[in-house]
Amino acid sequence: MMKAGWKKWSAAGASVLLSLTVAAGCSSSSPPKQEANQKEGQEPAKLQTLTYWVALSSNVAATLKSFGDMTVYKELEKQTGVHVNFQHPPVGQEKDQFNLMITGKDLPDVIEYGWTGYPGGPEKAIKDKKIMKLNDIIDKDAPNLKKILDANPDWKKQVTTDEGSIYGFPFLRGDDYLLVSKGIALRKDWLDKLHLKMPETIDDWNKTLTAIKNSDLNGNGKPDEIPLLINVGDMGGPVAFLGSFGVNYDFYQVDGKVKYGPIQPEYKQFLTVMNKWYKEGLLDPDFAVTDSKLKDAKVTGNQLFATVMSTGSGIGNYTSLVKNNIPGFKLVAAPFPVVNAGDKKLWSARTYNFSGGVAAAISTSNKNPEATAKWLDYAYSDEGKMLFNFGVEGVSYNMVNGYPTFTDDIMNPKDMSVAQAMARHVRANFNGPFVEDKRYMEQYAALPEQKDSIKIWSEPSDERKLPPVTPTSDESSQFASIMNDVNTYKDEMFNKFIMGAEPLDNFDKYVKTIESMGIEDAVKIEQAALERYNNR
Amino acid sequence: MSRSSNSRWITVGRDLKRNKLLYLMALPVIAYYLIFDYGPMYGLQIAVKDYSPGDGIWNSPWVGFHHFIEFFNSYYFWRLIRNTLLINVYELIFGFPAPIILALLLNELRRQVFKRIVQTITYLPHFISVVVVVGMLVDFLARDGVVNQVLSSLGVAPRSYLSEPEWFRFLYVSSGIWQQVGWGSIIYLAALTNIDPTLYEAAKVDGAGRWKQMIHITVPGIMPTVIILLILKMGSMMSVGSEKILLMYNPLTYDTADVISTFVYRKGILEASYSYTTAVGLFNAVIALSLLILSNSVSKRVSETKLW
Repeated sequence: MMKAGWKKWSAAGASVLLSLTVAAGCSSSSPPKQEANQKEGQEPAKLQTLTYWVALSSNVAATLKSFGDMTVYKELEKQTGVHVNFQHPPVGQEKDQFNLMITGKDLPDVIEYGWTGYPGGPEKAIKDKKIMKLNDIIDKDAPNLKKILDANPDWKKQVTTDEGSIYGFPFLRGDDYLLVSKGIALRKDWLDKLHLKMPETIDDWNKTLTAIKNSDLNGNGKPDEIPLLINVGDMGGPVAFLGSFGVNYDFYQVDGKVKYGPIQPEYKQFLTVMNKWYKEGLLDPDFAVTDSKLKDAKVTGNQLFATVMSTGSGIGNYTSLVKNNIPGFKLVAAPFPVVNAGDKKLWSARTYNFSGGVAAAISTSNKNPEATAKWLDYAYSDEGKMLFNFGVEGVSYNMVNGYPTFTDDIMNPKDMSVAQAMARHVRANFNGPFVEDKRYMEQYAALPEQKDSIKIWSEPSDERKLPPVTPTSDESSQFASIMNDVNTYKDEMFNKFIMGAEPLDNFDKYVKTIESMGIEDAVKIEQAALERYNNR
Repeated sequence: MSRSSNSRWITVGRDLKRNKLLYLMALPVIAYYLIFDYGPMYGLQIAVKDYSPGDGIWNSPWVGFHHFIEFFNSYYFWRLIRNTLLINVYELIFGFPAPIILALLLNELRRQVFKRIVQTITYLPHFISVVVVVGMLVDFLARDGVVNQVLSSLGVAPRSYLSEPEWFRFLYVSSGIWQQVGWGSIIYLAALTNIDPTLYEAAKVDGAGRWKQMIHITVPGIMPTVIILLILKMGSMMSVGSEKILLMYNPLTYDTADVISTFVYRKGILEASYSYTTAVGLFNAVIALSLLILSNSVSKRVSETKLW
């Protein structure tokens, strides 16, 4: 910095140069002060306001501008006297907005995010002095959460990093019933019209999809039926057909040994089937560019036979949306297909009680972490749990024989879906820093088809699924730089193989390329992380 | 500061005093550049550092050329260079001459009313936002869009053009021409009015037809303008309109559509590899600068026109 020089110049009285010092002053103030606020919080003043950064769920965004307008937070303010200023990134830009926000110096008091998405992982966020390590704070100021974690050692294992840090107030699914909500669903009424039974194997599916393709089931005289749509995003998630072959779209384990799915021979078998289906028009030709809106249009437009969807916003939503338009419309869950009849089902879309690192962290800019922790801890108390799952008695639910029953406003809303109506009051049907209650789902999934779907999609054993492991902060930059290249390449080739732009004979070449990008090292990192996880 | 330069500053000071209103008016402009263009350059240093948000720009450790080397060795390096250059070369070959040709054609029109109408129609698209233009492209080129409907009535099988890599460059460049051709021609039309009419009369006396007049008078007359614009274009070769590509591309067309600036956006903002992408961006800027200098010196040699 040439500060001394600048001063001399401006002393000469040239007004032009004054602005130079302004600019120089601007930039030289950028190095951050490290020891932010740690000591100031020793005499906690009464907490009055909080800034709270959190993505606005699309179900909330449909009818409200901010979480502050939701019943749960209005009531919370009444109970605790703390006013929360919510900061919501624009819907759809959460990730880039988070990355930009986190580089700043003055962070919001509370940041709720999927912390595994922080560059380098949650442990790195603590080392970077962006968020606080909460172990001590939770011991002292969050008795409710502490009680829950102590009572559920498995959950505690999931919310803790390898180094033993707890980085946020977690979103916990409070029951195994809540872990599966996604899978393949199909039009049962179309199956019945063709007198077909529920497909079980890949061959069954092949026959069924072909039959659908060749019959004008929506009766509009045009061959516009789409037998199957699985968009790229769903391939990685619930592993709809890929899982039938025993692998997934990412890392997995076989008896404690980590493997990478997209380079296995089973993956090639899967691609071969998809390529065939694509060529024969059984797979939606737009599968690679179909977003959720387009998918909605295809389902409600009476075009689509089978796709991947969830219990609530899928089966529930669609069924109520088309109730009056398509006579006989019936969506049901299909079991995960197998290659040969009798094969063990290995993959579902089951998540963990704590998944994706979704947690409300206390930032280092927070002046009053103890009081904030107390405020956040309320959600884990008995009253807090009721509030976050069901809202306010008399407003969003009523106690009927000791069972919190959602009001009619939520279950039979006007001009919106159940998911949207529920999201006006509570956070149960998306996520948040609280423990999700099974009883919300029992009502949310009210239709018999929805209840069945959870049972059917829960069948697979998921024994090959990798637990929520985290690389250490040292490994994570190497891991990230390998996987950046690998993921882009694998996504591109995935489409090319299926669409036939790249012949499947080149699969070996593709595997070699991924190996040259360093996949072996990434597997080693995941292996080490898995071993650390098992030893937690 | 030495003695002799001190006296120099005194003269500068006097000049400042004399023209203080002029300098005052320049002040906002200078401040703008300092704050928004030169100030942020301070952050460029993270290209040779391992930037972490916690340590800040100043305290992050130095890593030298690590990120540059990583980029040069990246699987995507050549694809990015190829795409960036190819899209620009296509724009140069097809996009750059288009407004010149339009201006020359308009110049030949005798009916003023007709000329005005053509001009207005061709430069209207310039005022449409890129977002809207890409929205139109997406709609028109969708599988059930108007283009496919027209083509299928002619017996051509429908396809989704925006998800096929081989169509991307064509669509990008041609939609760009459609949008900018009229607007770009204005400057050439202005240059045309500067040509001395007596030249045309002399040519007519010598028996030159319309074609000969265009080749020998009109074209050389606007040549200086053409060359200046060409040099400027060379300078922005590496910085293709990333906004439009970001809006137009999808993972299916990365193969031909992904350019350095979109890569920087994806890796930098979405995947938070700040240092790496700063290095990539800096590399991009260096190439752009060399292209500008190169084209300027070539132009200096082959013609009299130059930027500096």
